[in-house]
Amino acid sequence: MPHFSNSVQLKYVKLGYQYLVNHILTLTLIPVMAGVLIEVLRLGPAGIVSLWNSLHFDLVQILCSCFFIIFVATVYFMSKPRSIYLVDYACYKPPVTCRVPFATFMEHSRLNLSNNPKSVEFQMRILERSGLGEETCLPPAIHYIPPTPTMEAARGEAEIVIFSAMDSLFKKTGLKPKDVDILIVNCSLFSPTPSLSAMVINKYKLRSNIKSFNLSGMGCSAGLISIDLARDLLQVHPNSNAVVVSTEIITPNYYQGKERAMLLPNCLFRMGGAAILLSNRHSERWRAKYRLVHVVRTHKGADDKAYRCVFEEEDKEGNVGISLSKDLMAIAGEALKSNITTIGPLVLPASEQLLFLLTLIGRKIFNPKWKPYIPDFKQAFEHFCIHAGGRAVIDELQKNLQLSAEHVEASRMTLHRFGNTSSSSLWYEMSYIEAKGRMKKGDRVWQIAFGSGFKCNSAVWKCNRTIKTPKDGPWADCIQRYPVHIPEVVKL
Amino acid sequence: MVPPQQDHDLVYNLRLSSVGPGCVTGSDVIHDLSGLDLTMKLHYLKAVYFFSSHAVEGLTVMNMKEAMFYLLNDYYITCGRIKRSESSGRPYIKCNDCGIRFVEGVCDETVDEWLETDDDSKRNLLVYHRAIGPELPFSPLVYLQVTLFKCGGISLGLSWAHILGDAFSVSNFINNWGQHMAKVNVNSSPALAPRSLTNTAKPEAPSEPLSAKQVNHVGDLWVLANNCKMETFSFNLTTKHLSNLQAKIGSVSAFDSICALLWRAIAKVREGFEPQIITVCRKDPCHDDSNVLGNNQIIRSIKASFLVGESDLNKLATLIANDQDQVCDERNKIEAAVEKDNGCTDYIMYGSNLTFVNLENAGLYELELNGEKPKLAYYSIQGVGDEGAVLIFPLPHGSAAENEGEPRYLVNLTLPEGQVFKLKAELKRAALL
Repeated sequence: MPHFSNSVQLKYVKLGYQYLVNHILTLTLIPVMAGVLIEVLRLGPAGIVSLWNSLHFDLVQILCSCFFIIFVATVYFMSKPRSIYLVDYACYKPPVTCRVPFATFMEHSRLNLSNNPKSVEFQMRILERSGLGEETCLPPAIHYIPPTPTMEAARGEAEIVIFSAMDSLFKKTGLKPKDVDILIVNCSLFSPTPSLSAMVINKYKLRSNIKSFNLSGMGCSAGLISIDLARDLLQVHPNSNAVVVSTEIITPNYYQGKERAMLLPNCLFRMGGAAILLSNRHSERWRAKYRLVHVVRTHKGADDKAYRCVFEEEDKEGNVGISLSKDLMAIAGEALKSNITTIGPLVLPASEQLLFLLTLIGRKIFNPKWKPYIPDFKQAFEHFCIHAGGRAVIDELQKNLQLSAEHVEASRMTLHRFGNTSSSSLWYEMSYIEAKGRMKKGDRVWQIAFGSGFKCNSAVWKCNRTIKTPKDGPWADCIQRYPVHIPEVVKL
Repeated sequence: MVPPQQDHDLVYNLRLSSVGPGCVTGSDVIHDLSGLDLTMKLHYLKAVYFFSSHAVEGLTVMNMKEAMFYLLNDYYITCGRIKRSESSGRPYIKCNDCGIRFVEGVCDETVDEWLETDDDSKRNLLVYHRAIGPELPFSPLVYLQVTLFKCGGISLGLSWAHILGDAFSVSNFINNWGQHMAKVNVNSSPALAPRSLTNTAKPEAPSEPLSAKQVNHVGDLWVLANNCKMETFSFNLTTKHLSNLQAKIGSVSAFDSICALLWRAIAKVREGFEPQIITVCRKDPCHDDSNVLGNNQIIRSIKASFLVGESDLNKLATLIANDQDQVCDERNKIEAAVEKDNGCTDYIMYGSNLTFVNLENAGLYELELNGEKPKLAYYSIQGVGDEGAVLIFPLPHGSAAENEGEPRYLVNLTLPEGQVFKLKAELKRAALL
């Protein structure tokens, strides 16, 4: 069987099958239209006129039919959900003064954990295989030996990251602060009072009747949760702009103990943030970059193992850190499967859905040993943005979804250049695809994010207009160096 | 005088961080150390610059760090770490962007108060210094300490491993940093590219050098072990002192006459064990580029065939001044001696003989912050051999009308403890102290 399926002939059979099933309506319509045309030609104009006269229309019937059509059309347009457009977005680019080369990270690690050489050794092994590059950034407070994570420093980092991203967004879109109707800020691990959304409102003097929300504790997938919330709000409020700010503040969360399960985030999490402008205004449909098609959220928190797999707790010495369990990849795989099951029918072409249905029926009725059919998502999407949680996550998803190296390039390169920036990494990846000039009108993008809980959230965007390579943005000065080859193990 | 028990609190709140290049240097960039570089491995240079509050108005530590990031894009060699070659054990620098160590400190005195009671041990609080080793790959080569004084003024304390370069390189480094602070465009120079020794032929030399000598193996902790405790002190030479000297010694430069004077004084102190040979270091005029990093200073060895302690100053000064650079320049000899066993033997230069270093053309006062020059720039050497070392550098002179008491030169001596007291007495006798 495997040899046969690799042959070229089967490939063409597959192509033919896909074309047939996906365009079935067109293909059945054409013979029908041909039939009608032949019939019309046969009757001739005189025959058509006599047919029309024999129908005996009177005024009431015509009016009723018109009203009925108008009524159905109105109901349809009223109940259609508003189109949500992504006008533009801006990613934060940290300054070079925050740069952390591998050698510096390791040297500081040795000095900070001088009594725990095994923990230092562990960090070094993680860093070598992490897929990060030499340009990722940590906030200034973490550069000290030992780090000095005060609340003031955390607020400072939040201000720099969020305000930079928002300034950039306002400049790119020409949006005035007074025109922001909805503001959603998500930052999982830093939640001061007043909230970060209040900080933004204070800085930009936003309106007093703004609808603001601050989501905290929701992990790396909170970015898509914010988009989902914005979408729901924009259905209720007509003619509105929503600004979503996704970030993760590193300063207060740098683990200062020696437990290995908790040292992992220190090696991977880096500074980053993004600000996104969403709108349901009709006037934006010309200049918007993307249109939001679907958001699918899957929560596996009901399962105890999934709930505990990313857990913030104190270690034996009282240091707070985020503990990652060893089943993380398995649980992520399960969550992904759940998410795919929901999103599959929404996005897959009919051919794939039919195949999946047939194999499912076959497994249930004929032979349970048949391999489950993994739908080919490459037919549903042109671009994939997989949350750059770590090299293992990207490898796992590439394997599960059978993606090529080019499909996961945006994720790998974002991990290399910026590290794991948590909820904003998806936006750096989108930015990479745009910077490479690959985003064309009509392209569909799938953003997948995983987060503590355990959650798997997806968003599907459709590109509204071909996007020219941007001259600014986080990749502007380095895109020509990418893609780079990332070795399995970097020699430190 | 500050009571000793307060010393550890005098400069406090030390915060350490690292500053490296803003741009990625790349992987596997290596800077080979020449024989001359390896001769200097047990020596460290310490430089302290004092600035008034006016000079640093509006400047924060963050500004200084940022300027350093841009400077280190060119000087990425200083951000590397020492590694040993797997085959021969010869040290080299791996340019891995690890960075220089940046230290921030606070002091409760004002700059002026400090300068009044400034001495060597006190100055050590302003320069965070750690020797290289015992873990070579994790030892920074450069430390920069910025201390904030009560009046708002600052001091910059730089600890620099001599394998990277000589005092003239240090001065260039700091001056270039000053230019980055002023946001002046600094051209990066090919002289800052890393050295590769793979193709250079080993130099041949007929004899052993006089100015460098072998010491016992130090392993991976690059600290010089002296046979006696060394002490450092310094004094100023005023216009009056210089004119007196000029009267006694004829047509030689100020440096040569100061050397002659000190040589004789030290010889008198060490009666019976007079230093017959001295080493004189000065800037090589061929390496005048302001971006040069390396051990390029001229190292001359001067031998007196007569008793120094009782000699005529003129005779000594002429001996120092007249010796041809080409004949006495020992750099090739030192290079050849070190290369003979591929850099496995440990050498010292400063203090193998009584060493005099001429920092006149080092550009010590070219550094400017907010257009203002430092109040004082002070250099010293950490890790001097038993014979001692003397650094002579100019002080900034102010008004055109030079008054007699105005200090023109600063002389910094590092000598065995036992000789310092006698030398001070000798210098008092010569009306210099």
